[in-house]
Amino acid sequence: MPDTPAGQDATPALRIADLRFRYPGARPTDPWVIDIAALELAPAEQALLTGGSGRGKSTLLHLVAGVIDLLPPNAGRIEVAGRSIHALRGPARDAFRARHIGMIFQTFNLLHGFSALENVMAALMFSDIPAREHRARAADLLASLGIERTDAAPERLSVGQQQRVAVARALACSPELVLADEPTASLDPENAAVAMDLIQNACRTRGAALLCVSHDPAMAERFPRRARLDELHAAHLRAAAPGLAAHGPAKGGGAWR
Amino acid sequence: MALTDLAIVRRSLRARLFSTCVTALTVGVAVALMLVLFSMRDAGRQAFARGSGNMHLLVSRDASPMVAVLNGIYYANPPARPIEWAKYQQIAASMPFAFAIPTQQGDSYRGFPVLATAPEFFSDFEPNLGEPWRFAAGRAFEKPFEVVVGARAARETGLRVGSEIFLTHGIAQSRQLGQADAVAPHVHREFAYTVVGVLEPTGSAHDRALFTDLTSSWIIHAHDRRKLTDPSIRTTTADDLLETDRLITGIYLRVASRPGRDATALLPAAFDALRRDPTITVAQPVQQIDALFRIVSNIDVIVLAMAGVVMVSSAISIMLALYNSMEQRRRQVAVLRVLGCSRPRVFGLLVTEATIIGVLGAAAGLALAVGGALVAAGALKNAIGLVVTPVFAPEVTLAVLTGAILLSALAGIVPGVMAYRSSVADHLKPLG
Repeated sequence: MPDTPAGQDATPALRIADLRFRYPGARPTDPWVIDIAALELAPAEQALLTGGSGRGKSTLLHLVAGVIDLLPPNAGRIEVAGRSIHALRGPARDAFRARHIGMIFQTFNLLHGFSALENVMAALMFSDIPAREHRARAADLLASLGIERTDAAPERLSVGQQQRVAVARALACSPELVLADEPTASLDPENAAVAMDLIQNACRTRGAALLCVSHDPAMAERFPRRARLDELHAAHLRAAAPGLAAHGPAKGGGAWR
Repeated sequence: MALTDLAIVRRSLRARLFSTCVTALTVGVAVALMLVLFSMRDAGRQAFARGSGNMHLLVSRDASPMVAVLNGIYYANPPARPIEWAKYQQIAASMPFAFAIPTQQGDSYRGFPVLATAPEFFSDFEPNLGEPWRFAAGRAFEKPFEVVVGARAARETGLRVGSEIFLTHGIAQSRQLGQADAVAPHVHREFAYTVVGVLEPTGSAHDRALFTDLTSSWIIHAHDRRKLTDPSIRTTTADDLLETDRLITGIYLRVASRPGRDATALLPAAFDALRRDPTITVAQPVQQIDALFRIVSNIDVIVLAMAGVVMVSSAISIMLALYNSMEQRRRQVAVLRVLGCSRPRVFGLLVTEATIIGVLGAAAGLALAVGGALVAAGALKNAIGLVVTPVFAPEVTLAVLTGAILLSALAGIVPGVMAYRSSVADHLKPLG
């Protein structure tokens, strides 16, 4: 169960404001890779971000996760569960990420040499969750996701089961926010649907908000909220042009459909 | 129960088992080499320090104190210039010595030196401090023409209690025999000696010697002298000895210790008093052995420096093994970082991994060195009867092992920094 159930607490799972980002080494005249005036996810809300490859989708997720630093001239504010993640430095940010953000990858990125159970426990070991609870917590989570052979090496599990282990790992610490980076890109359409059902249901059940990036058009119907990254940029520019409240909150509006 | 950093390191070592084993073995060989070199140095020093035992001073007429020690204790050569019996008596009476044991060298048996001496040699003199002579068989000599055989001499000649032998005048060595101008060795055929005792090994040069009493030695040389003037002489006894026949080549001295007082306090005074006599050479064996070690200590340093280089190169091989695995590791590091592992912790994982390789290597090295030394010592004893006790001084061993582990940890720093600085975002993307 989520630590802060939706409804009782209005703190958004994710709030992005005035985010501008270019990679280090880019010229000041280069366009921003990320240029988002406002983007917000309510607790347990699920949203899809689309856009062609190389448009900065992964970069946005890495910025949100705080594995890329937001250094000048880049600017903006990214809040996860009410905390500005880039205000945290070094190990403090890592600890925050461990506890409040889960990530799911296209290739799962499971740890080799570790069993399914240990992969989930690896997510718990960097959190402040008491060590004695780790094993039971990981086992329960895997069981609820239908993994029985918890001591099997991930590479000996089917692709579908590996996906489940990856989802379990992302949700192990009951994060407020799950970031999914092209989670179905290496699956056929049938398996992709199964995987998305799994991810979306698991996040819903556990009260985690889900920000999913994908270039798969078939994903659109699964998400009530969706946006194209380039449209987010464009909306921002359009809003800025007439001199109106360019950076005003655009919750539910702007490029979001 | 939770997953620990150590568990992550263990998985990583297991995932690269071959590399782990080979790298640890590299460290192990270096550690073993280092330990064996130290051990050999200590064993060599110990072996050399043996032989002077509880003797304080050695008197002879050799050219220098060093030569006196090399000849008198290590049997390098028989001393050329003798000391008259009257001189010996004068020296022995000049101070209250605990013992003043006359020794005479010059004869040999099948290349092994013979030391003619007094019974006190066995009763008062200890070849190693606190370790008196022990007999493997038989007893000390009690009357003329009885001989006691050192452990190694007995082993190589096959002499046993009851064997009868003839001594050779001079040291008959094959090298000398090959030289045209060498004095032909002369066997004292007229006088048979009976072996009455065989000694236990002492680890000193005395193991190579045979021991008999002074009187019989004087008699056989007096017999030679008398035959020069009268070839018809059949036998010589103690009654035929002249004062000029009673010659010795060295004196083992121990300063008397008063009850409750350390004898070494009196040693400098005794040493100075004896040195005032210009006709004799006085040596303090302990000092001469120290001087000898100062001469060879340069070689020591070179050998240890070489071992140190081997050690450093093994640390480099740890670094290289981890460095080479960094490409495979970057993705895992990135995943751990996403899961919330901090940069310092990632650095720590790599350094821990290097340290564990070092610990494994140190353990392997210790096992190799101790096992190897025991095998080598056994082989030396069986092959040449040389008693070498492998000495692994605890503090030296601890220093070598600690040094190896610390160096290994240091070797983890470069890969650790690579992991620390590795970009997370770049290594999460799908391969290809």
